[in-house]
Amino acid sequence: MRAVWWKAICVILLVYTAVAGFLMPVPALPILHETIRNLYFHVCMWFAMMFILTVSLVYSIKNLRNPNPDYDIIASQCVTTGMAFGILGLITGSLWARYTWGAWWINDPKLNGAVITLLSYFAYIVLRNSMDDEQKKSRVSAVYNIFAYVMLVVFVMIYPRLSEVDSLHPGNGGNPGFNVYDLDSHMRMVFYPAVIGWVLLSAWIATLSIRLERIKQLKNQ
Amino acid sequence: MNQIIAIIQREFRHEIRSRKSWLAILLYIASIVYICYLGFHHDLDAETWNTLFWILVVFIAMFASSGSFSGREAEMLYIYTLVSPQKFIIARLIYNGLFMLFVSLMAFGGYIFFVGCPLSNLPIFLLTMLFTIWGIASLLTLSFSIAAKGAGGFALMSIISFPLLIPLLISAQHLAALCLNIGYTGGYAGNMVALISLDVIVAALSYLLFPYLWRD
Repeated sequence: MRAVWWKAICVILLVYTAVAGFLMPVPALPILHETIRNLYFHVCMWFAMMFILTVSLVYSIKNLRNPNPDYDIIASQCVTTGMAFGILGLITGSLWARYTWGAWWINDPKLNGAVITLLSYFAYIVLRNSMDDEQKKSRVSAVYNIFAYVMLVVFVMIYPRLSEVDSLHPGNGGNPGFNVYDLDSHMRMVFYPAVIGWVLLSAWIATLSIRLERIKQLKNQ
Repeated sequence: MNQIIAIIQREFRHEIRSRKSWLAILLYIASIVYICYLGFHHDLDAETWNTLFWILVVFIAMFASSGSFSGREAEMLYIYTLVSPQKFIIARLIYNGLFMLFVSLMAFGGYIFFVGCPLSNLPIFLLTMLFTIWGIASLLTLSFSIAAKGAGGFALMSIISFPLLIPLLISAQHLAALCLNIGYTGGYAGNMVALISLDVIVAALSYLLFPYLWRD
């Protein structure tokens, strides 16, 4: 993971996102207007968060099957990174909502899902801090990580479809989503590179904090 | 199978014998419901009724489940040597579900006695309660086993279980809102399926993950 090439790709893609995201033409839609550009930032935050939390999940499962202190470091640092992206996702979404919906926050299935995600992973961090024994900490927090992740995926992905609750969020309840906007395919040219760029950035930040944590653990020994 | 039944019987006997915890739960329910009654000088509207009821259920469930584990470490050591973790967690899920259902039915009785009952569809509401309580009980069972490993006690337990309780409570509140005829869209069937699938997932995860929390 120390190779330079993917970090270079990440930087190039993000610079491209910032430049093209603000300058490329977007479809002129009522209410949304230029706020549609938030797609390149807000939506990508959640993609990056889900990616890095999935990595964390994989390492938690690995850790339960085959206990290893290093897996625990990877899982926990990925969660911390994922939280940072989650908070940015909330902030960008909230700003956008203020200008399009007229409120910072509304009671909506997607927004509830976001809050529950953040709260349960904060609980993960609190849980880790409440234990001193390293072995116990890694096992118990892996169990909680798997539990929380599955509950969230069910709640965010499956629940809104079953419960027939309408959402005001784009892509739900009659509101056009991304696949409607991209008919002119200008947005697609920015959106896909943006997703890849932000996901790579999350991986980069995570690898840095994993290495930092490894050094800390070595120093403590 | 016999072992599972034996564990459930043991838990029941333990619960009945420890009169202290019994009285504590009764007192908790009575006082919390009465405080709700005192706070409102006129009839509650359906929305407030709904919100208040589920908050009550959550707090009563947390309180009731916290009593069943504490101060029994020596006994647990004995159980570790006798049964497998899978059998133990199945027994606990069944027992906690039944116990929580009983406790929350008492709370529901007290609540409609004091605060009133604006429900227009009681059978569906009771069904909702059954599945929600079952889900809450299994979720609290697992999160208590997790929290018991850390040094945070009851506070840690509430921190790790509240966020995960929200999905169950949202679907419960939607179903209850339908029973109360407050303008919510959607039908009973979809919400009920969502609630039951959440329950099944919580139970399945508890079954799969509990062995890793079993003894140190």
